[in-house]
Amino acid sequence: METKHPIIRVRNLHKIFGRDLHVLRGIDLDVQPAEVIVIIGPSGSGKSTFLRCLNFLEEPTSGTIEIDGVVIPAGEPGRERREHIRQIRAKMGMVFQQFNLFPHMTALENVIEGPVTVKKIPKEEAIRKGEELLEWVGLSDKRDEYPSRLSGGQQQRVAIARSLAMEPKIMLFDEPTSALDPELIGEVVEVMERLANEGMTMVVVTHEMHFAKDVADRVLMMEDGMWIEQGPPEEIFTNPKEERSRQFLAHIL
Amino acid sequence: MTDSVSAPSGGIPPTARLALDQLASRRRRFNINLTIVLIGILFSLFALLTLLGLDLRFMGSWLGFLLTGIGYTLMVTVLAITLACIIALLGALGRLSRNPIANGLATFYVSLIRGTPLLVQVYMWYLALPQIGQALEQAGIPGVQKLLTLPAIPAGILALGVCYGAYMTETFRAGIQSIDIGQTEAAQALGMTQSQIMRRIILPQALRVVIPPISNDFIAMIKDSSLVSLMGVWELSYRATKIGRRYFRSLEMLIMAAAIYWVMCIILQAAQARIEERMARGERRKQ
Repeated sequence: METKHPIIRVRNLHKIFGRDLHVLRGIDLDVQPAEVIVIIGPSGSGKSTFLRCLNFLEEPTSGTIEIDGVVIPAGEPGRERREHIRQIRAKMGMVFQQFNLFPHMTALENVIEGPVTVKKIPKEEAIRKGEELLEWVGLSDKRDEYPSRLSGGQQQRVAIARSLAMEPKIMLFDEPTSALDPELIGEVVEVMERLANEGMTMVVVTHEMHFAKDVADRVLMMEDGMWIEQGPPEEIFTNPKEERSRQFLAHIL
Repeated sequence: MTDSVSAPSGGIPPTARLALDQLASRRRRFNINLTIVLIGILFSLFALLTLLGLDLRFMGSWLGFLLTGIGYTLMVTVLAITLACIIALLGALGRLSRNPIANGLATFYVSLIRGTPLLVQVYMWYLALPQIGQALEQAGIPGVQKLLTLPAIPAGILALGVCYGAYMTETFRAGIQSIDIGQTEAAQALGMTQSQIMRRIILPQALRVVIPPISNDFIAMIKDSSLVSLMGVWELSYRATKIGRRYFRSLEMLIMAAAIYWVMCIILQAAQARIEERMARGERRKQ
């Protein structure tokens, strides 16, 4: 595994909000292709900020991020840099806690928006692909529904299909099930598991410990903007080394 | 994951049925009472006007003359609101821009125009602009005085459009800012550019938000268009005051003019309701 070049490589990432709110304190991370990473930790520990830094929805204060060979150091914005950021965003899908579907578009229109607008793929082709994706997430019959007519679980599955339509190499999930009613979590987790089994590289921030146990190759625990523990899930969940991880796990398991 | 809530197998109990009926009849009674009150108000108004001894024959004979003034009123209003919408969109983008020139210009424009009376602005376009032209002509730019000496109607359209554009800039800006940041982030995550996000994601949603306040401005402008009468344009209110003064029948003429404005605004309100209904597709209605 170590011989392959990592598809995500983060070095010494810091994020400071305002002048002194130090949220990320020197994060390093290597993710291999097809690896499934789950990030856990108490709320406010910086997990979501870290994930959002990966596709520059949050601008890192210092450090370097490399995605699939494109290296972007933190720094002043410029035209070339903006272009690099758009390149890596197109390689990386992101799924949000609040779904963030476009409410003025139907499910299918949501899914084809990226391919048609960003990749300039002909509409008929995008629609064919979009229909396949909606079928893959089990929502063929909802293709012409607006998001407001879908349940939370259905919306999140459309959001996953929307991201996949860009044919990303990496998928980021920012607490994808936290806004869902308990009975709707399963349908979203099931889609994520299938995605993992198909070899997608995934970085998942979640409180869904079943997913972490069953699917993750590696679990990382964050506290106060630093990794406090990482390893395969069986190790983290059964035999955590750090006292603080033990406390956190006792809390949520 | 059922789409609709079905009644439990026992069906709706009689007491609940009764409560529903009462609710419906209360609603119906309110509507009936409201209609009665409105008819009563209209009737009183007519009674009052009759008491005043209005010269109905006089009114009838000048109605056609007044109605031809609607043409000017509508033309000025429609052109000015179109201009205002274009300015407002650019102004809002400027106000939200991080480019200091665009932001500064937009902020200055809104502040200046909102801070001065429309009446003064109308005169500026009509009376003061030619003087600027003269000064520039003397400074050595040939033909500029003629260019800046505007006829009444273009001056009025520019004055109204530029003025309302400033107010509507703030409306558009608020509409754009009301769209959840998550929309922008989702679009960014797809790799869309700033202008793609604005055109495809933000503006279509913001437009829906700003339709009611824009319609409000449209209605206000129909009435403010009467300001072009100051420049001698034979629009609705100019005709009314001219004829009213000539025959000492101002009451009759002004009542007619007011009624015509009112009818136009009622028609516009109905149109607004239709547009909002159409734009509401996909949007969950808040009760």
